Amino acid sequence: MTIQSPHSKDLSQTNHWLLEGMKRYRRDLGAHIFIYAVAIFIILASLSLTIFLITKGVQLFTHDGVSLFTMIFGSVWDLHDGKYGALPLIAGSFAVTVLAALFATPLSIGTALFMGEIANKRGRKWMQPVIEMLVGIPSVVYGFIGLTVIVPFIREHIGGIGFGLLASLIVVGVMIAPTIISITVDGLLGVDQSLREGSYALGATRWQMISRVVIPAASPAILSAILLGMARAFGEALAVQMVIGNTAVFPKSLVYPAATLTTTITSSLGETVEGSTANHSLWALGLILLAMSYVFILVIRWIGRKRNA
Amino acid sequence: MLTLEKPKASVTPIKKINPVFQVKDLNIYYGDTLAVKDVSVQFPERAITALIGPSGCGKSTFLRTFNRMNDLIPEARATGEVIYQEWNILDPRLDVVALRKEIGMLFQKPNPFPKSIYENVVHGLKCAGVKKKAVLDEAVEISLKQADLWDETRDRLTKSALSLSGGQQQRLCLARALALKPKVLLLDEPTSALDPISTAKIEELLLELMKEMTIIIVTHNMQQAARIADYTAFFFQGRLEEYGATAALFEAPKVERTKQYLSGQFG
Ligand SMILES: Nc1ncnc2c1ncn2[C@@H]1O[C@H](COP(=O)(O)OP(=O)(O)OP(=O)(O)O)[C@@H](O)[C@H]1O
Ligand SMILES: [Mg+2]
Repeated sequence: MTIQSPHSKDLSQTNHWLLEGMKRYRRDLGAHIFIYAVAIFIILASLSLTIFLITKGVQLFTHDGVSLFTMIFGSVWDLHDGKYGALPLIAGSFAVTVLAALFATPLSIGTALFMGEIANKRGRKWMQPVIEMLVGIPSVVYGFIGLTVIVPFIREHIGGIGFGLLASLIVVGVMIAPTIISITVDGLLGVDQSLREGSYALGATRWQMISRVVIPAASPAILSAILLGMARAFGEALAVQMVIGNTAVFPKSLVYPAATLTTTITSSLGETVEGSTANHSLWALGLILLAMSYVFILVIRWIGRKRNA
Repeated sequence: MLTLEKPKASVTPIKKINPVFQVKDLNIYYGDTLAVKDVSVQFPERAITALIGPSGCGKSTFLRTFNRMNDLIPEARATGEVIYQEWNILDPRLDVVALRKEIGMLFQKPNPFPKSIYENVVHGLKCAGVKKKAVLDEAVEISLKQADLWDETRDRLTKSALSLSGGQQQRLCLARALALKPKVLLLDEPTSALDPISTAKIEELLLELMKEMTIIIVTHNMQQAARIADYTAFFFQGRLEEYGATAALFEAPKVERTKQYLSGQFG
């Protein structure tokens, strides 16, 4: 574009500073295109993953004629017998998730409060990397420890054969605790120091200050921490598979085998033939898992929005 | 109630005024650096005392000794005596929780808790163990009225305190402190984050409250000190340079440095 006027110079002929903006724009354009491309790629990838799972998963209902109702509310799961009632698995997944969260939450919040409110800076500086390292330990390691230490311990000291929900909730609880701890600590550190001072200035003791001001102020972060931990517990396959016993029945007791959605998928996938009803049923389980993950994410986002409001 | 042994030192009350605080040879350190140096002064009861001085001269540090807020800073350490009702506030055996119930504080930035307006006001009372709803309700109404916030909030007591404007938030923080019926109110630049109208309102409230309690206010605003303070203390580099009736200090400062500061030669 050239602008000609009797009173102004033609800027395009010069290296004038007023044209810097144009150059800056061209430089930024590359970065913009890259960022958009990556974003679109990620959106497309997750979208196609969802679509792929849906098309695979619904075949059980459309192609094999199993009704969604029998799938979700049927109480017998037996691939060899053509029984596709996933309720015991759904119950197993929820039991592991909820029990692990119940076990891990008090433990984690206590630790987080110690790190964020009680320990001095030096103590925190030591604990932070330890917790972060625990988050990064692969789940197979947790499962392995569960299998070699916790399962035999339960068998000998508590009863049953050791495999089951109790072992699972301990393994998964310990596994998700570092996640809950580190998000909670971030939330606690995010609470403005002036709120603590304000509470102390009104004659609060340290514990009153923590329980009446810091925890409520950090509660959205604490809630998201717990939910994120639960999402991880819900989706965990490997570690649970190693200690739950993998028997697709309603968990009668904490010390007898059970199964979850994820453990059933991983343990049965190798046994089914592509295109068979049994294979489709596993995809349907995956679809249930995906739906649940979306629910978790929606709840976490909803809490996050409430925090910002 | 405050409980501990009486300090050995005897302090002779200065004439006419009835001192609420008697500070003797107060030194406050942050690690090795001395932030408040050899301050000895008495503050009168039921009056407004302003603490003025250039930034970093130790006003906040000094103010925060009266309710032992410096305890929260691990490297802070104080020597000397601050006598309040015959007790030495600096005594480590002193019950700071009880002390802070009698000596309220308002901060530079309004710091309402992210809770309802009601919960903000009753925080101190609940921490003190008051549970009866009727008592709490009454305290909320009285203290919000004292802070001139009742009319604006009576219909929205359950709403979040963060929904209030900055000036309203600061008045809520005032109400929160008043709910404990303090004998002393410490204010650290309480209006520096507020607009002129909110500032005027706070000043008006302080003049009203002064009839019942002792007020010590740190301010950077010389006009504010002149408007509301009965006494003014001028600090410079951790030392108390001059202290006296506000009008006298502003009109005829005795110390050269005060004169220079008041005429705006540094600050
Ligand atoms: N937590 C702390 N650790 C170390 N030094 C500190 C700390 N707080 C304050 N100081 C130092 O103590 C001195 C007095 O600080 P103080 O905050 O009391 O000053 P002030 O008069 O309130 O200043 P302002 O008007 O800026 O608020 C300053 O030199 C400051 O750097
Ligand atoms: Mg200050």
